[in-house]
Amino acid sequence: MPPYLKNITSYVEGIRRIRETIIANIVFLGQIPAPTFQEKSRAIKFMDRLVENQVDECTTDGYQNPIGIIRGKKSDLSPIMLVAHLDTMFARDVDHNYTITENAIRGPGVLDNTVGVAVLASLPAVLKHLEVSFDSDIILAGVIQSLGKGNLRGMRHLVKTWPTPIRGAICVEGVELGRLCYYSEGMIRCDITCSISEEKGVEYRFKPNAILVLHELINQIMAIRLPQKPRSRVIIGKIKGGQKHGIIAYEATLGLEIQSDTDRMVKTIFEDIKDMVTGISHEFGVRLKLETISNATASRLRYNHPLVKAAGQVMEALGIQTVGEPSESELSLLLSKRIPAVTLGLTRGENYHLPESQMEIEPMFTGIAQVIGVLQAIDSGVCDE
Amino acid sequence: MNKSWVASHTFHYSRFSDIGYLVEEKQKKDLKISLCLPTLNEEKTIAKEIIIMKSELMTRYPLLDEIVVIDSGSTDETVKVAKSFDAKVYLADELLPDQGSYRGKGENLWKALYVTTGDIIVYLDADIKNIHHRFCYGLLGPLLAYDNIKYTKAFYDRPIAIGKSKIRPTGGGRVTELVIRPLFSLFFPELTQILQPLSGEYAGYREVFEKIPFPIGYGVETSMILDICEKWGLDVIAQVDLERRVHRNQDTKALGRMSFVVIKTFLKRLENLGLIELKKEIYDEIIQYQLIKNDITPNAVKMVGIERPPIIGIPEYREKFGHTANPSSIRLASKEKTT
Repeated sequence: MPPYLKNITSYVEGIRRIRETIIANIVFLGQIPAPTFQEKSRAIKFMDRLVENQVDECTTDGYQNPIGIIRGKKSDLSPIMLVAHLDTMFARDVDHNYTITENAIRGPGVLDNTVGVAVLASLPAVLKHLEVSFDSDIILAGVIQSLGKGNLRGMRHLVKTWPTPIRGAICVEGVELGRLCYYSEGMIRCDITCSISEEKGVEYRFKPNAILVLHELINQIMAIRLPQKPRSRVIIGKIKGGQKHGIIAYEATLGLEIQSDTDRMVKTIFEDIKDMVTGISHEFGVRLKLETISNATASRLRYNHPLVKAAGQVMEALGIQTVGEPSESELSLLLSKRIPAVTLGLTRGENYHLPESQMEIEPMFTGIAQVIGVLQAIDSGVCDE
Repeated sequence: MNKSWVASHTFHYSRFSDIGYLVEEKQKKDLKISLCLPTLNEEKTIAKEIIIMKSELMTRYPLLDEIVVIDSGSTDETVKVAKSFDAKVYLADELLPDQGSYRGKGENLWKALYVTTGDIIVYLDADIKNIHHRFCYGLLGPLLAYDNIKYTKAFYDRPIAIGKSKIRPTGGGRVTELVIRPLFSLFFPELTQILQPLSGEYAGYREVFEKIPFPIGYGVETSMILDICEKWGLDVIAQVDLERRVHRNQDTKALGRMSFVVIKTFLKRLENLGLIELKKEIYDEIIQYQLIKNDITPNAVKMVGIERPPIIGIPEYREKFGHTANPSSIRLASKEKTT
């Protein structure tokens, strides 16, 4: 049995014993609104909590990502990185007061990704309580500007400027306990906005309807013949537009994401859609603006990579059913820099992206034990091939 | 009127944010501290209060020795939730059975004196949505740092919007401004320096709480201030700015009932002090009206002003805490000495 599996099951009970520390961090951090580009207050609190939990070193990088370092026993080893994004998709004016019941915590952003950030902030206390130490330094990075238009800016800066090689990394996400992400698909996320002039005049007598123009565009996108290999798809994820029932829509916006196993195919599909946008714009005489929100490159670890195998073993030892899936978040940047990394989910929950988002408390203890187990696996050298 | 009190006895919680220092003072003085949370259907907020206090003031710093929940008979999951996070939970009805049982916050606070073990007791309302451990250490700060302070009272930020700007508040809620402050101004002007006399968060030494009566309901905050001030003087009281507090907002009718009890408690104190003489018994019912379709219907609610006597006179309490001396003897400096 590998050494990192030896005590793994006993960690769950140990972590449960200091649940108040972890839940308090979820509340303290989650109740501070942190929409993308406005994470400063939450970042400061994250640093405060690291300091209060006696992390060895605390700093911010040049992009204001807050970072804590738990010093390892061997200074010649490269560090292991733990990452959780600080930003949420909820505006400041949403009520951020969290509610705790016997088994659950409810509040905006609790699953994405307050619990992930709080677990990082609690880790020094958890490791101390479990009497677990590492040879490598452990970097606890709360990264800013990840979601939507943030386009992983904080993470891009972190991996680009980190001064030493990184031994391995884990991205921590709220849900779903059991996810094991070891590859990311190529992705481009974009908004297409159709604007109709509101000016009066003969030339504008028969005005097109912005919603119907986007409808035409959707029809054309749906007609694209996507290959089965490399696997590719276009997801129409968002649409909004119009003002009133009885007035034609002067503006409408479509949000879509192109995903594929290869970057080349993503680019090809994107170019196709760009051509469609130009064509429809001329045909209907409207302004159609295509704006890229974010993108990720396709990269992966082999399924039989030692880190993926070790993570699977840890999860199996803890009785967690493993589901392999792609992730387009921080993981893609780590993998594209050839840093062995996985994304793990911490717990289960519901209403993932709603203000009444809710996480279950009990599975989180297993989720944290899983993170510590994978950290120990990396520390034992599974990524050092 | 002693106008200097507000300057010398008003603190901001941040002055006591060095919790390590408070723990040192506590240990130096060999004190135990209890946190009491009176509850009635607080399932949405009770867990958060327990968890944060436990995490920050028991696990990280050993400032609190126990967290005690006294429940008035919640019909929701309050008791179950509180127990699941390892608080000591008591049902008010089951405590001191020989003394009978009433429903009300004051009753819970009074009975808490019997089950808690602390030399200092912190009382916090259990409906605070933005609970933070400053609510506790802020109130404890003056008690541990200053030997003359025996009772602390919270006040909060209640920004009042004027145009686009906001002014920092000195006032309390509606009942405070419309009822209590006018009454204080009429009879005890120096007490107007207490900015939010009705705030539900306060802390004090057991030797103070055990020697004052507790009205069973809303009047407990008013009576506490009047009785402590009358017995030991304003010098033993301090007030602490805990900044913002978010809690349930009550409707006007509920505030009317609250005002009724507060006024009744106040009048009783005035009469006891010989400041007024009531020519007849005052009534026990508040009558409020509601318009249903075209009918104006009265709604009378009986609110008897029952008060629990100082608990030091209760035999069960005296036995548990080893009081053999006459209950009227007090270790605390007398008013004459402090003023």
